[in-house]
Amino acid sequence: MTVSSTISSTTTSAATALQLEGISRRIGARTILEDLDLTVSPGECLALLGPSGCGKSSTLRLISGLDSPDRGRILLGERDITALPPARRQVAMVFQSYALYPHLSVARNLSLGMEIRGVDAATIARDLDAVLELLQLGELRQRRPADLSGGQRQRVALARALLRRPQVFLLDEPMSNLDAQLREELRPQLRAILCGGGAPVVYVTHDQQEAMGIADRIAVLDAGRLQQCGTARELYHRPATLFVAQFIGRPQINVLQEPDGSLLAVRPEHLHAVREGGLQVRVVSREWQGASQQLQLDTARGPLRWVCDGGRSIGDAVRIAWEPQHEHRFAAGGRRLTA
Amino acid sequence: MPASPSAQPIASQRGQNPRRWTLVALLLFWSLAPMLWQLYTSLRTPDALLGGLAAIGRGWTLANYGQILSSDPPFWRYLLNSTLVGVGTTLLTLLLAIPCAYALQRRGGLQRQLVDGALLVAAAFPSVLLFLALLQLARQFGLANNLLALCLPYAGLSLPLAVLLLEAAFAELPRELEESALLEGFGLWQRLRWILVPLLGPAVASTAVLVFLFSWNEFPIALTWLSRSELLTLAPAMARIAGSSVFSVPYGAFAAATVLGSVPLLLLLLVFQRPIVAGLTQGAIKG
Repeated sequence: MTVSSTISSTTTSAATALQLEGISRRIGARTILEDLDLTVSPGECLALLGPSGCGKSSTLRLISGLDSPDRGRILLGERDITALPPARRQVAMVFQSYALYPHLSVARNLSLGMEIRGVDAATIARDLDAVLELLQLGELRQRRPADLSGGQRQRVALARALLRRPQVFLLDEPMSNLDAQLREELRPQLRAILCGGGAPVVYVTHDQQEAMGIADRIAVLDAGRLQQCGTARELYHRPATLFVAQFIGRPQINVLQEPDGSLLAVRPEHLHAVREGGLQVRVVSREWQGASQQLQLDTARGPLRWVCDGGRSIGDAVRIAWEPQHEHRFAAGGRRLTA
Repeated sequence: MPASPSAQPIASQRGQNPRRWTLVALLLFWSLAPMLWQLYTSLRTPDALLGGLAAIGRGWTLANYGQILSSDPPFWRYLLNSTLVGVGTTLLTLLLAIPCAYALQRRGGLQRQLVDGALLVAAAFPSVLLFLALLQLARQFGLANNLLALCLPYAGLSLPLAVLLLEAAFAELPRELEESALLEGFGLWQRLRWILVPLLGPAVASTAVLVFLFSWNEFPIALTWLSRSELLTLAPAMARIAGSSVFSVPYGAFAAATVLGSVPLLLLLLVFQRPIVAGLTQGAIKG
């Protein structure tokens, strides 16, 4: 049996889209979210990406009903759930801390919620076995959360979310407590488990790699405002604001001041050496990274980053240039100038 | 329960320090000597007690215990009364304090600070000053000579401290645990019953023991509310034994009563020692 077919038997949620319309939230004088519009289709995984404090976790709390917005509507399919209490929204949330009940065994952590919701005993037993097998938790069913590793806890939290049979999956930085290697291993698994069903998935992260690896589309937030929402390719090739350009892509994009006050941005990997013309630069420092090396350059127009594979060394004087189609131009305020 | 591996080196470190051992021995003597003296006294005949050093080795007896257990009413009756009042008080206090502490903790803001301040003042108020007013109430509402009615003032006096203690315990629970339960469809009482109170086990147990101790030791209110001798709780009963004869103080009988009166408390503390010490919330959040 494949992963996705097991999942569709455990999650029978009807395929409905999640829609946020003009959501705003303030706490006192502080704006947490400002006029946020988002749509997540059935079965789609949308990543909310941004630095800490940008409002991505607050968005999850609003969707789940743990907080309520000051303005705007949240729609699930045709239904307006803005005023619905959290218990009746049928959303499942995986918390950053996993929030497993520490006094209960793995099996009890998973079954208690179903019992409370009045699921009959036979169904509980069947679903519990299915989800334990799916997430390879069978041997751990009698353990307490304290006796599990970080990855195992995450799987238990995921299992609990699946058993909720949610209309929407919400994940709040579910990987941030795991080490880097485990994260990379788990990404495809997590994607297969979550995105196989019909429910929209909203995945909060501050890690662009994770967002690109898991999500179908990425919404970049900064200071409570949506900067851009699109596929990873769109964000990389056509960032709508300087913030998105700087946030997506590593190492960070180079920004040059233009004489007219606008900004010119070029990605470090799009620079190349030329014999004549271009910009005269000097290599200040370098980081060797195996397949490539990252150089810090000193130029008449300020410092630049350059990713190249050649054997440059510190102190070298080179001329560099870039193709015009790789240029991004932004107004002084950060908005993209369509060029 | 297996000792944690880190306990070993600390224990051996202590063992290497004779000065620390002396200090511990002194502290133990300081707190245990009066109790051991009472135990000794309770096992001696009156003559042996007054006989000075020469009498040591003679005059051991169980007659003191026989005397208080066969008196009318027998001493176990007072123990039973005190236990009844203690259990009633503890249950009533917890029943009121747990929801109250939860609500206050979740409330936050100025309202909570005001209530907490008032609770602190109430907890610090010397309850002895209230006994005349309480006696008046007992008369008015016909609550005298009723053991369960005695739970009312006791629970009232224990409540402020119990609420403050439990409030602090609620504050330490990670909020996501409750939010997770909320999203799973748990109602308010289900969250309290299945998630919060079990996790507060140690705090609830230690609060319960404190309340029980207060009720067990309380004297002025019990003395004034109870007059029928078969309803007396331990403290007024002890006073009665001490003053039962005009001509002599019955040291032996009094000491035997003291010993019997403290045994249930020792048992209680032994039983609850584990849940009080155990850190149940370990590993709740990322460990």
